[in-house]
Amino acid sequence: MKLKKIVLKPLLIERMKKLLNPSDLGRFKKVIEKPPQNSIRCNTLKINPEKLKEKLINKGWKIKQPFKDYPEIMIIEGKFSEKEPIISHIGVGGRGKEGGKNLILLEPGELGNSLEHLLGYYYVQDIASMLSIIALKPNKNEIILDLCASPGSKTTQIAAKVENTGTIIANDLSISRLQILSANLERCGVTNTIITRKDAIKFCEQVKKTGILFDKILLDAPCSGEGTLRSSYRTSLMWNSNTIKSLSKLQKKMFKNAFEILKPQGEIVYSTCTHAPEENEEVVDFALKEFKGKIKIEKINLPLKTRKGIIEWSSNYLNHLRVGGWGKEGGTDKKFSKEVEKSCRIYPHDNNTEGFFVAKLKKIK
Amino acid sequence: MTPKILNKIEKEEILKILNEQFGIEKINGMLLTNNYEKFFIYQGSFKEEEISKIEKAIPIEKIGIYFAKVEVNKENKKRIRLSIEGSQIMKNQITKNIFELNEEQVKDWLKGNEILLNDNLKVNKDINKSDLENTQTIRVGDAVSLGGGRWWDLGFVIITHKGDFFGTGKASENKISNFIPKSRRLKK
Repeated sequence: MKLKKIVLKPLLIERMKKLLNPSDLGRFKKVIEKPPQNSIRCNTLKINPEKLKEKLINKGWKIKQPFKDYPEIMIIEGKFSEKEPIISHIGVGGRGKEGGKNLILLEPGELGNSLEHLLGYYYVQDIASMLSIIALKPNKNEIILDLCASPGSKTTQIAAKVENTGTIIANDLSISRLQILSANLERCGVTNTIITRKDAIKFCEQVKKTGILFDKILLDAPCSGEGTLRSSYRTSLMWNSNTIKSLSKLQKKMFKNAFEILKPQGEIVYSTCTHAPEENEEVVDFALKEFKGKIKIEKINLPLKTRKGIIEWSSNYLNHLRVGGWGKEGGTDKKFSKEVEKSCRIYPHDNNTEGFFVAKLKKIK
Repeated sequence: MTPKILNKIEKEEILKILNEQFGIEKINGMLLTNNYEKFFIYQGSFKEEEISKIEKAIPIEKIGIYFAKVEVNKENKKRIRLSIEGSQIMKNQITKNIFELNEEQVKDWLKGNEILLNDNLKVNKDINKSDLENTQTIRVGDAVSLGGGRWWDLGFVIITHKGDFFGTGKASENKISNFIPKSRRLKK
């Protein structure tokens, strides 16, 4: 598979330099050039991980279950072939030969075109994207809101965790995205979900009037997608700093409204697939200040390497970039609450995943 | 438009047909429909009142997932075609009219092709559920008693292979017609 070379915009490089030390930045740049590894989540609503693993091994696929506590998470390291030569690399780890057979890459689209996928036995999902629900820890019989649900990776993950009990409301705005969500819920056999179509903020305002409150809310917010550079070449082309600013405003508004329809003692997970602090720690910091005395941030344990949320961020880098003609405006120094450190940053070079951010907050009153 | 929730009598009518066709004895959850042709199943905790509360505030796009379609046959009798998920949800209760594909037929079926029947077809009256995991035998339950010897009169049969459930096919004398939607077919 020939990959398009990702060219990061200078301003994005400057921002990443502020988040990572030189050695990390080098590793970051290197890993985003590589395709993401093939990770899947066994859909335990339909099959148990052991059975699925057996089926996939029988197909000739090499399977790794990286986390003992989460056997449903699997990485497809490649497939064995007696005929074909070894092609390029397998994931990041290199190439292999086992039992006289060559380990080769899956063909493009092969993961989504297997019998097991069509039957809904697994969901193709990056491990980083699975972390929101690991943090949310949904329990059986809870009422859960997935506010920006499409395409449904996390909704299906919640449904599997709660074994189709309770109720999930899966909301999104775009019709085309809702169609994908609906197809994925169907394929995965998710029977405890109601799909609604509404702007996230209006959804919360309207639901507030009904008196319905949620035990758990997932706010996997629309974001600038800096974490998805490995799988989405377009993101590197579309990225710009103005979008980050406007998204940050929107995300704060979304959080504020979502928090209003959370039950007392209820929990909300805020996540994005971007590294931009304005869309991450700044939103969490805003939430802690806005709902002071009613909210607390919780520590989360995730099964891979994470880094603490940052508590200082300066976007003054624009001053020197302005000379080169890239920037238009000056930045500001921002200081966040020390509590924000409980948020988790996931970098692609730390775990060979996509990039991600996740924070869990509780309504204490 | 929010689908209508079937009342007890309507749900029992569906169950009666499913029992006759596949031996199903219980449907857990709510059945919903827009047009009394396609039916959806919702197994979440919300009762009708809570759904109605949500509906008044927010447009509901869908509740639950596609479960089954009701068709009327030549004898003006209602027959039910379970979706892939419908057959998987009900798999532990399905005891008759099961068509077990062999290895070669599985890929063909998932590509959306009909299955042409030949002399290999065997008709078994009794279906032993535990056999499903290992058997390669093609079989159609209750064929002799219901079809007067012509098993294909039964129409809908549940398609399986070694414990995997692929929804419903429609049996006729020489073939089983395929209803796998395009979006769920194998592409090559």
